[in-house]
Amino acid sequence: MLRRVTGLARSTPGRLSLIALLLIAASFIAGSLTAMSVINRAAALEELATRSEPLAHAAQEVYRSLQDADAAAASAFLSGGLEPVDLRARYETDIAQAQAALSRATASHPELTATLASQLPVYTGLIETARTNNRQGFPVGAAYLREASGMMRNQLLPAAQELYRAESDGVAQAQDRAARFPVSEVLLGLLALVALGLAQAYLTRRTNRLLNVGLLVATGAAFVSLVWVTLSAVIVINDVGDSRSGGSSRVGVLVDARIATLTARSDETLTLVARGSGQNYEKSYVEVSEKLEGLLGQARKIAPSAEVDSASRHFMDWQATHQRIREADDAGQYNEAVALIAEPSFDELDADLVRAIGLARQGFSGEIAAARGALVGTAVGVLALALVSAVGSSMGLWQRLKEYR
Amino acid sequence: MRLAVALLAAALTACSVGPTEPTRITPREAAAPSPPEASDVSVPPTTSAANPPSCDATASLRPAAVQPAAGQMPAGSTMAKIAARGRLIAGVDQNTYLMGFRNSFTGEIEGFDVDLARRLAQAIFGDPSKVQFKIVTSAGRIPALKNGDVDVVVRTMTITCSRLTDVDFSAVYYQAGQRVLVRRNSGVTGVESLRGKKVCATSGSTSLANVTARGANAVSVPNWTDCLVMLQQIQVDAISTDDTILAGLAAQDPYTEVVGDRFTEEPYGIAVPKGQEDLVRFANGVLEEMRRDGSWVALYQRWLGPLGPAPSPPVARYRD
Repeated sequence: MLRRVTGLARSTPGRLSLIALLLIAASFIAGSLTAMSVINRAAALEELATRSEPLAHAAQEVYRSLQDADAAAASAFLSGGLEPVDLRARYETDIAQAQAALSRATASHPELTATLASQLPVYTGLIETARTNNRQGFPVGAAYLREASGMMRNQLLPAAQELYRAESDGVAQAQDRAARFPVSEVLLGLLALVALGLAQAYLTRRTNRLLNVGLLVATGAAFVSLVWVTLSAVIVINDVGDSRSGGSSRVGVLVDARIATLTARSDETLTLVARGSGQNYEKSYVEVSEKLEGLLGQARKIAPSAEVDSASRHFMDWQATHQRIREADDAGQYNEAVALIAEPSFDELDADLVRAIGLARQGFSGEIAAARGALVGTAVGVLALALVSAVGSSMGLWQRLKEYR
Repeated sequence: MRLAVALLAAALTACSVGPTEPTRITPREAAAPSPPEASDVSVPPTTSAANPPSCDATASLRPAAVQPAAGQMPAGSTMAKIAARGRLIAGVDQNTYLMGFRNSFTGEIEGFDVDLARRLAQAIFGDPSKVQFKIVTSAGRIPALKNGDVDVVVRTMTITCSRLTDVDFSAVYYQAGQRVLVRRNSGVTGVESLRGKKVCATSGSTSLANVTARGANAVSVPNWTDCLVMLQQIQVDAISTDDTILAGLAAQDPYTEVVGDRFTEEPYGIAVPKGQEDLVRFANGVLEEMRRDGSWVALYQRWLGPLGPAPSPPVARYRD
C-alpha cells in the first residue's frame, strides 16, 4: 500500500491525483468540523434561552415565594383575630408558586431540590397546626409558627439559595461555552487556505500557467467560509457579552436586592411578633437593609432605569416607616407600631424590583435572540462552501490531469 | 449435532440479558423540625447548682406605713421616675397560657402575671392601662432588669438566693411547685420515673436545674410552649415545671395530664433591679392591698380557677 502511494507520488499525474485527494479531504474535514462547532455554539445559545435562564428564574422564584410565604404567615399572625383574607391568599399563592417553580427546577438538580421537596410539606403542616391552635386561642400556636419559621430560615431558604447559585452558575457556564473564540475553526480554515495556496504554487511551477480557475474558486469558497465563521463568532461573543452586562448580571443584582428586601421584611415583622425579645431580628434587619442599600446603589450604576430609581425612593420611604415603627414600639405604642406595618412602601419597593427584573430578563433574551440570529444558516453555509471548495479543487486538478492522458 | 445445539443454547443463555434489580425508592431522612434554639442539656446549669448562697429568700422589705396614693409618688423615688415617664415598663411572658400569654383574637397580652403588672400601674398612675409590656424569655429576665430595659419583671419568677444576688424581689405573690406533664397513658407517674427520660424545660429556669439534678436528660428551649410542641411531636417524654405553667399547657392539649406530687417549692415574686428598695416596698404595699381587698382571690379565680378553689394568698414575710 505504502509502496503504491510512494510510487504514485513519483510520477507527476500521480502527484496531481494525490494533491486533489488531499485538498478534497482538507475541505471536507475543515468544513464538517467547523459546522460541528457552529452547531455546538448554537446549541449553547439555545440552552441559554430555553433552559439555563428559565431554570435560574425558577430557582429564584422558589426562594422568593418561600421567603414571602413565611413573611405572610408571620404578618397574618401579627394582625390578631381572624387572619386577613389577603394575607392568607398571599400565603397560599406563594406556596403554590414555590411548588410550581420547584417542579420545574427539579429537572436539573434533583439532589438540591429533594431537600426542598421533602421539607416544604412539613413546613406547611406546621403552619396549619399553628393556625388551628391560634383559632382556639392557644399560645402554642405561636410556638408552632416559630418552629416553622426557624425551619424556613435554617433549612429551606439555604437550600433554595444553593439551588439558585447552581442555576446561575449554569447560565454563566452556557454563556462561556457560547462565547468561546473559535480558535480551532479559524486554524482549520487557515490550514485549508494554506494547502490551496501551496497547490496553486506547485501547479504554477509545474505547468507554467499562472492561475487555475478551479483552485481559485476553491480558495475563494474557503476564504468566504473562514470570514463567515469568524464574523458570526465575533457577533455572538459580543451579544453574549451584552447579555451578561445588560441581562444576567443585572438580573443577579436585582434578584439579590429583592431577596434582601423580603428578608428585611420578615425581620421587621418578626421583631414585632417577638414583642420586645426580638433584638436579633432587628439586628438582622439593620444588616440586611444596609446590604440592600448597597445593592440598589449597584443596580443604579449597572442598570439605570426608572424602575430602579423608583425602587430607591420607595426604599427610603420604607426606611423612614421602619424608623417610625421602631420609635412607636420602643415608646410602648405597640398597636400603633403594628398598624404602621401596613404602610405601602414595602409593597411598592417589591413591585418596582419585579418590574426591573422583568426588564433585565427581556434585555437578556433579546441579546441571546440576536446571537442566535447571527448563527442562522452558518452551519449549512459552511458545509456548502466546503463542497464548493472540494469540487473546485478537484475540477482544477482534473483539468491538469487530462493533459497527461 | 446435538453437541452443537447444546453449545448454541448455552451461548445464547450466556448472552441473554439477566433480569435487572427492581428499582427502589429510598426516601431521604424524614425532616424532623424542632423549635429554634432547642438544645440537649448534658451538664446541669451551674448558676444555681454550684454552692447556692444560703439566705432567707422569701423575706422581703416591709411596705411603708402609709402607701403613697396613686399619682402622688414621693419625689426622688423610683416610682416618681416611672410616673414622670408616663408608663410602667413590665417584663412579662406571652407564651405561658393563663400566667402571661397573647390572646390570639385581640392580640393583647393577658394572664395572672399581666393583671398583677396592671395592678402595679394602677397603684402608680391610677390607670391600669399605663403599662408597656416587654416580652422576656426565662433566661432574659435578669439581663433585662440589669440593663434597665424594664422596671419590673412579673413572669413566673421563683425567688432564689442566687437570683437575689442580681435582683431584688417583692414578697411572695404566688406559691407554686414543680410537677410533671406527660402524654396520657405514658406510664410516667411522677418525677421519680423521669430518670433517663427526655424532659423539656426552658433555659435559665429553676425547673431545668431541678430536672437535671434528678437524672433526666434535659432539653432546653426558650419558651414553655416550645416544650409543648416537642411533647406533641414526640421529641420529649415529659415537661417538668411549676404546676401553674403545666396547668396552662394541659389546657391547650386534652391528651396530656399533670402527674405526681409537687416536688419543689417555687415562690413567685415580682423582680426589681437590685438596690431599688423603695419600689420593692411599694410593690409589697400593693400586694398587701390585694390580699386585704379580695382582689388576689378574684385574680386567682379568673386565671387559675381550673387548678381548683382559690387557696388563701401566701402570707408575706419581711426582714424589715
